[in-house]
Amino acid sequence: MASTAAAGGSELHVRVRVPLDAIELDVDWRPESDHVAIVGPSGSGKSTLLRALAGLEPGALGHVSFGGDVWLDSDSGVYTPAWERRVGWVPQDALLFPHLSLRENLAYAGAGEPDVERMAASLFLSDLLDRRPRFLSGGERQRVALGRALLAAPRMLLLDEPFSALDRPLRSEIAAMVRAFARDSATPIVLVSHDEHDAELLADERWVLVAGRLTADGARQSSEPHA
Amino acid sequence: MVLAASSLQDVLPVVARAWDARGGVPVRFNFDATSRLAPQVIKGAPADVFVSADDEWMRWLEERGGVDSLSIRRVATNQLVFVVPTGAPDPPGAPGSIARADLARIALAGENVPAGRYARAALESVGAWSSVEPRVVRGGSVRGTLEWVARAEADGGIVYRSDALAEERVSLAFAFEGEDFPQPAYSGAIASRTEFRETAEAFLDFLSGAAAAALFSASGFGPASVGGPVTQTLTPAPGLDASPGLDPWSAVRLSLIVALSAVLLGLVPAVAMGWLLARKNFLGKSFVSMIVMAPLVVPPVVTGFLLLSVLGRDSALGGLLAAMGLPIPFTLLGATLAALVVGFPLYVMAIRAVFDTVDRRFEEVSWTLGVPKAPTFRRISLPLALPGIAAGAVLAFARALGEFGATVVLAGNMEGETRTIALAVYSLLESPSGRGATWLLVIASVVLSLVALLGFEGLTRWQRRRMEDHHGH
Repeated sequence: MASTAAAGGSELHVRVRVPLDAIELDVDWRPESDHVAIVGPSGSGKSTLLRALAGLEPGALGHVSFGGDVWLDSDSGVYTPAWERRVGWVPQDALLFPHLSLRENLAYAGAGEPDVERMAASLFLSDLLDRRPRFLSGGERQRVALGRALLAAPRMLLLDEPFSALDRPLRSEIAAMVRAFARDSATPIVLVSHDEHDAELLADERWVLVAGRLTADGARQSSEPHA
Repeated sequence: MVLAASSLQDVLPVVARAWDARGGVPVRFNFDATSRLAPQVIKGAPADVFVSADDEWMRWLEERGGVDSLSIRRVATNQLVFVVPTGAPDPPGAPGSIARADLARIALAGENVPAGRYARAALESVGAWSSVEPRVVRGGSVRGTLEWVARAEADGGIVYRSDALAEERVSLAFAFEGEDFPQPAYSGAIASRTEFRETAEAFLDFLSGAAAAALFSASGFGPASVGGPVTQTLTPAPGLDASPGLDPWSAVRLSLIVALSAVLLGLVPAVAMGWLLARKNFLGKSFVSMIVMAPLVVPPVVTGFLLLSVLGRDSALGGLLAAMGLPIPFTLLGATLAALVVGFPLYVMAIRAVFDTVDRRFEEVSWTLGVPKAPTFRRISLPLALPGIAAGAVLAFARALGEFGATVVLAGNMEGETRTIALAVYSLLESPSGRGATWLLVIASVVLSLVALLGFEGLTRWQRRRMEDHHGH
């Protein structure tokens, strides 16, 4: 079933304008692959694009649809709130709930204990489960944020510089794990990064965002996911 | 400078103008209850002439060398009267009928204020004191007592004839006339410390002279001659050195009850208001914010007066509450409400500040995990705001402990009911005795406040540490 989704693309269509402080994010975007990377310098609007997809930019105008659901249509007043879109948003600074232990963070969306344990193991976090976020390194926090999003059974993964605090070997392992998850559950991924290497690890299709404008980048495109 | 009993507030300036007109030196006044003025004379208040509403206080000053013995003389007399709200049906006609059960609440001035002492003596002399005592509400001054009767918060009250005449919202039921009753009398004396002895002497002569007597009489006062010589003991009320019958532990207990109830009662409104002001933009937001913060800058006495106007029995809301069995004035609930309203700005400010500092993206993450707004508020926003909410509660608690002005106006100063530490200390300061109890209350008050502030410090540090957890990586 993974291949069906991959063949049909993610059926994501995004045509939004979001006014920002300095620039305006203005994109009309219909990616072809399931796993897409958007690269670009900081301040180009990458994070805002993810937030608009997640339903966290109430000022966004235009049209967003995914898999037959209309998430935003400002002409007809349609706006699906974030909690009904069920996207797995992993913000750059992790944003772990500081008053909850790792275990509680991972189980936040309602996952059972065995799932939490399994996820912790695959992210190399098993020994840390009863700690509070304040006692973790930046890389550990990113992995918890990823696990928390995956355990919520998201319909799409939105990853904002998800590996920035991980060292190279760990990056590859975690990226492989995310790919496996995405393949098994047919979950599309939109990753934004200023790091070309991160984009290569996860995406089949690459776009470049500069000053709020998105353009296709033909540097590396493959329709087949890594085995 | 003339320090004079507050019941002379209206008449003495008139007398002073007549004195001016005859070429006298202009006079300045400081009016307050005799019981507060007399100790001030001893403590060195700048005074040239002292006019007392009570001979016992004059004698107390004389014994301590505060006034010149030889200069003491009678100035005017007054009369105790029983007043009822204007239009009250079937007012009592004689002193004996005060014990009637339908007079559920009788207002008297404070127990150390001369008018309050005279009133008690008058009731004792008709044998009515023991049956009336449980129904007594004590105001501070005669004017405060009169205000309560005027608003029909009390069914009747004992005040001076001169005060009753000046207030049209009360009518005179009867006067305490005759030999059996104490005769309130004003006496004047030269303060020992004056630097203007001759002027003071001349003014005192004028006060006790015929021209002043005519002015006193026009304002409802009696002639100086009626009162008898000053040396005679006129007030069979309990001596000044008797303790004012005040239990300090009851005041401490009441303070804690009032402050805790205020904090609990205000918790939900304060969190709601703090969140609203931090997170929402709406029409009239700055107006709402201003109203909430107003008690911080408006004098508490004014806040108390406004609360009495809105929640008093003569108002629509107050009448409704009273009919529901929740009367506000003179009750523990009233004291709690006064403390809450005055402490509410601090409560809201602390909570607003914490909602301002908590990163809203925690809430956003929770939404994307499929948890809607209300449960996100309960699971994320509230726990993260907890240190600020606790800090606000501690501040409101501390402010409630210190509350005085709004409480005394709305809830009175009633032993065991609304007399908190602050009010008890105030009452004790009017009596030269009871130093021990005063110190006990002062220490209790300081200790409680410091503990509350320590708690606030601790909570603030907790909050800062939590925020650092998030931002400090």
